[in-house]
This record gives sequence, C-alpha cells and structure tokens, in this order.
Amino acid sequence: MSDVVTLAMGAGGRQTARLIEEVFAASFDSPLLTADDAAVLDAPRGKMAMSTDGFIVSPSFFAGGNIGKLSICGTVNDLACMGARPLYLTCGFVIEEGYPLDQLREIARSMATTASEVGVALVAGDTKVAGKGQVDGVFITTTGVGEVVEGTAPAGAQARPGDVVIVTGDIGRHGCTILLERDDFGIDADVTSDCAPLWESVSAMLDVTHDVHVIRDATRGGVGTVLYEIANQSSVGIRLDAASIPVDPAVGGVCRMLGLEPLYLACEGRLVVIAPREHADALVGALRSCPHSGGATVIGEVTDERPGWVVMRTEIGAETLLPQPGGELLPRIC
Amino acid sequence: MCVGLSAKVVRIQDGTALVDASGARREISVQLLDEVEPGDYVMVHAGIAIARITDEDEHETDEVMEALLA
Amino acid sequence: MSESRFQKAADILTSYDGPRLRIMEVCGTHTHEIFRLGIRKLLAPQVDLISGPGCPVCVTQVGFIDEALWLAERGVTITTFGDLVRVPGTTRSLADARAQGARVQVVYSPLDALSYAREHADEQVCFLSVGFETTVPAACLAVEQACEQGVDNLTLLVANKTMPNAYAALKGSADVFLYPGHVHAITGTSLCEDLVSQGVSGVLAGFTAKELVTALAVAVSKAQEGVPFFVNAYPRVVRPEGTPAAVELMERVMEPCDAEWRGLGVIPGSGLTLRPAYEAFDARKRFEMPEMQGRANPACRCGEVLQGHCKPSDCPLFGRICTPTSPVGACMVSGEGACSAYYQYGGDLL
Repeated sequence: MSDVVTLAMGAGGRQTARLIEEVFAASFDSPLLTADDAAVLDAPRGKMAMSTDGFIVSPSFFAGGNIGKLSICGTVNDLACMGARPLYLTCGFVIEEGYPLDQLREIARSMATTASEVGVALVAGDTKVAGKGQVDGVFITTTGVGEVVEGTAPAGAQARPGDVVIVTGDIGRHGCTILLERDDFGIDADVTSDCAPLWESVSAMLDVTHDVHVIRDATRGGVGTVLYEIANQSSVGIRLDAASIPVDPAVGGVCRMLGLEPLYLACEGRLVVIAPREHADALVGALRSCPHSGGATVIGEVTDERPGWVVMRTEIGAETLLPQPGGELLPRIC
Repeated sequence: MCVGLSAKVVRIQDGTALVDASGARREISVQLLDEVEPGDYVMVHAGIAIARITDEDEHETDEVMEALLA
Repeated sequence: MSESRFQKAADILTSYDGPRLRIMEVCGTHTHEIFRLGIRKLLAPQVDLISGPGCPVCVTQVGFIDEALWLAERGVTITTFGDLVRVPGTTRSLADARAQGARVQVVYSPLDALSYAREHADEQVCFLSVGFETTVPAACLAVEQACEQGVDNLTLLVANKTMPNAYAALKGSADVFLYPGHVHAITGTSLCEDLVSQGVSGVLAGFTAKELVTALAVAVSKAQEGVPFFVNAYPRVVRPEGTPAAVELMERVMEPCDAEWRGLGVIPGSGLTLRPAYEAFDARKRFEMPEMQGRANPACRCGEVLQGHCKPSDCPLFGRICTPTSPVGACMVSGEGACSAYYQYGGDLL
C-alpha cells in the first residue's frame, strides 16, 4: 500500500477496503463495529442523549494529543455534560489526498485508546478522500449516543442564585497549545493541551449527588464564553473571583505577552459545573479523585444581581464586568 | 498604548536575547540596551527590550509611598 | 508592596474630599488596566478619571485603514499588530479583506514583518506602523536592518505619533496627567520636568495594580498641595535619561511632521515620517498612493470624550449604534479606547 492517502483509496473499491482494514479496523477492534451499512445495537435504558461534532484542528498533531483523541473527547464530553454515559460513537473522516498513512494510523490508534478509556464503542465509520487542497489534512466528525443517568437533568438554564461555579482544572491550555503550535508569534512554552475525556469525572460527581444544575465543557470560546451563555440561559448573574481562577504560569506568560485573556482560550478537557453550595466540597473532592480533574476548584458563585452578566472580583477587591466574548482572539501589542 | 511585559534574559547572542516570562519564551532584540546579561530583567514591547528593570513592583511602590507619606 | 501601604494608598483615593480633581490617564494600556482591575471603584466621587488619547489605534486617522486596504487590493501582503485587524475603514476592515482573500499577517513585532519579507521574497510586504515612542524604535530597527540586509520588498505605512505636542494640546483638559510609563521608558523624564515649569502636573505610572493605585494616590495627595509637581512613580522601569540608543535610532530613521489625531484634529509636529534617506521604505511613495481622507460620523463625540468633556455614555451613539463589535468612533475601535473599555467593563452598569 502507498504510504500516503490516494484518491483511489476513497473510490470505494479494493483500495478503500484495504485502507479501512489496515488503518481503521486494525485499531478499532470493537465487536460492535459494523462491516455492513449500519450498526445494529441494543437501545439504552431510559433516556438517550445524542450529539455530533466536527473537528478541523490545524495542526492535527499537537502537544498532548491529536485530532483523533480530540474527536472522541469532544463528543464524549458533550454527552457527559448531559449526565449521559457514552455508549456508542460513529466517526466520519474527510482526508486530503496525500495525507501520510502513518499519521492516519496514529490518529486511529489515539481514537481507539481514548474510546476504550471511556468504555464507549466505535460502531460505524465512513471515509472520504478529497482532492489536494480541498481540505486541510484530515477532518473528523463524530456522533455519539449515551444513556442518561436516571434522575439527572443538567442544563444551561438550571443555574440558580446561591449555586457555586466550579472548573475542573487550569484553564486555556488547549487554546494556548494550538496558538503555540501554529508558531505565528515566535513564542515557545512548555504547555500541553488539556484534551481529555471527562465521563469518569462526571460519573464521580453524579455518584455524590444527582442535584448538579449545569455541566458544560468549555471548548471553543473558553470558560468565559460558557459562563456568559449560562448567565443568559438561566437569567442569572455570575460573580467570579479573579484570584481563584486556575491558570498555568506558562499559559499566563503567553497571555501577557500577547495581551490575551485566558478565560477566552479554548479548553478540550475542562468542565464548568454549577451546583448548590451545599454539595460544593463533596463535588470538588470527587472531581479531584479523577485523573482528568485533579485541579478542580470553586471559582465563583451564581447571583441574582445583573442577570446575563459575568462580574469579576478583581485582585484589588473591586468588581468589574468580564468583557463579553469578542470572536477571533487577536494579540494586543500597541 | 504599549503593552509591556517584564521578562528574564536567559541567553544573549549578537544583540538578540531569549527571554522568559513565567515559562513563555521568545527571542527579542536587546540592541538598544547596553550591558544586558543573562539573569537581568527587561521590559519587552513589540519584540524589543525597551529598558532594563527590576523584576517586581514591591519595593518600588513601597518606596514611592514612603516618600509620599514622609 | 506591603498590604498596609497598599491600603494606605487606596484610602487616599477613597477618602479624598477636596475640590473636583481631573486626572487624565494618557495611555490606553492604563485605561484598559484601570477598568480591568476596577480601580475606578476606589475613587472618591470628586475624582474624575479621564481616558486620554494614548491608544494609537484610536487616534489613527480614519483614512489609514483605507490606505492599507488599497495596498492589500493591489496584492501587497499586510503585516500588522492584531490591534488593527478589526478596525473599520470607510467600507470594511482588514479582517473583511482577509476573508475576501487579501493576505493579512498578524505579527508580534515589526522585526517579524522583516523576517516575513525575507522569507517571502516574491511578495511585497507592508508593515502598518502605528504607535507612540515606545513602539517606534522597533519599527525603526526593522527599517535599519532591512537596509543593512538589502531586503527590498518591505515597506512601512507610517502613522506613528509622539507625545510632547499632544501634552501641550491637552494642557487644560486635566489637573494631573498620569504619564504613560513605557513612552517615558524610552524618552526619559526631562519633558515631564519641563512641563512642571509650565504649570502642568503629572505622575509617571506603571501598569500593575500596586503601581496604578500608588501613582493615583500620589496624584491625589500632591494635587492638594496646590503646587505643580512631577513624580516618577515607576522608577524600576523609567530612568531619567530613558533609553538613549532608542531615541537616537528614532531620530536617525524618522523625522517629525504634522499629524491628524482622530477625534482631536491636527497637532503640529506630533507625527513621524521616514527621513528622505529611508523613503524607499515608505509605502505611500513606493506604490504612489493617492491621498485618502476618511470621514468620521458627525454625531460621534469621541473628541470630547478624549478631552474629558463628556462621558462615553453621554454620546448618542454609545452602546446603540457604536459598540465594540461595530465601532463608529475612535474610542470604540480598539479594546484600549475609552468607550470600548467603558462598554466592556460595565462603566455604566456597575
């Protein structure tokens, strides 16, 4: 087999079969993975959650992960945020002609490893090859089905005044990592992506209490964007304590160099959790016992003041608004 | 106007220095300063060192306040 | 700074009960940090903080973005600080032009624009040179190095400005100036000393919470003595002599010219342009650019905001037609502008 992906591998013939067999089936050795047109599966008990997400990260390999791991984490975490145990995943690949096969194998292996860590089965997949330049490297879309833990219904509109705001670890590492990997600004730092599957963390919280009001993964737009969404959906105010927001020192250094706000850098393995204050200690304790949320901490509270706004208590004890999310992150220099 | 960053000089070669700000590193020009050495702190703006500085604001603000209250 | 001294400084700001006192923070980064930290909340009601014209993006003339777009349309690669990317020209911004295929490269330093030009010898590369004395040396260094290295595909579109004549123009607008720390890290403190003899008071301020609160405490305390004063409250960075090599470099490469400050009008001798020896690097000359005059919205009150004659929320456009995502006036186009900071940090809400 050629050592790069060719258009013939996407044409549906023998070469396609070999690509699937040697790259994907070799890694995804789930008994549920279908060789037919659709996977036939046992239905979840109770309520089902379903989500889909597309991944186009450039570069596709970065410190702490790659697009394959990301594509599993993203959908697993979306399901987990609804209180759903991830059961099944499908994945669709669009691969640029000429993409190195060894990288594709590496991506597939990461997907398999991450899926098996979570206990989710990859049940169906699709592969398309696009001509050179029509896509950038490899794009992956994953769709997931999960089983909602009975008695839980976390949602963005459930935040209540008096609740605490928890993040499950230091923020902004994924966004910072990608910014550094693209090397647009000549900056170097030892930062790895926070990309991680978070079902175990959510499961540990639900073992403490089912009374968790909001669980959201702070991906694109970062923690700040998610908090504004929650403040609007729930018509509440959110007050953060600037000093308690965990930021890795190197991420902080990069942000100061470029005039960026860590609250608006993407995470791929961090949850924002909003829950009644009486559960705060137990929830933080449960989160800290899980491998991907050891840095969980309370960063603020939900209030009935100024609905729709996120207020910061700053290092001098004064209150200001957190500026609203503003789209593309641009370095501020002059 | 002029976002500045205080950073520590790690090494210098031919007027270019590698500086470190809490683990974020970048090469900058130190051509405009005399006698910069590894270990010194500089104020960085737009890729050049604009001044040699002391690292933190603790003593400075203490002294300014003492002078004011004296 | 010890907790007690910080508290003392904060108390001075909170407990001031003298006559109305107008303090102008000249620097956009000061404006931004003062809002971000919530320092205005500490101030007694008689202390007015006026956000002056020290955000280079804000005071850059409307036609400048049109000039950059004109170059981009002719295939020139634009290299720029991120600050300028979303600023609207007459019909669109550089971000819009990029979406339509123009090459717009965000850089951290003018020296990165030089590297880009060296690595892309087949492209004409223009750096959008905005900024005050702090930023000018980096641009001049890029020009000198391009000259030495024989890089002939780099140009600058210059809209740099200098502070001395702006201070003179703003003289009556404030009782005390909070001088921009990093400008004077380059130029030194002699100008601030000279201004005292003209009756202008000021405090040179750094950018951390401690430095800003301390500098404001100095401003408030000294103002009560009724004698013009200057205090360098940022001595760890600003030496009296500044950074002489940077000043010499600027003088070798650039010379003063009259300049239009968006919102304020023309201030004589407050701009910079490349000296004739370096005119090959002047984008306006190399590409024979026609003169471009942008037109500001007549309802915009940015000029009055910049001089402290009104608050951002007094402007009829503020927060309605003019917001950070669709800015109309000078003070809204950059995150460091007075209106933008006021809007984003909830100046009228909290």
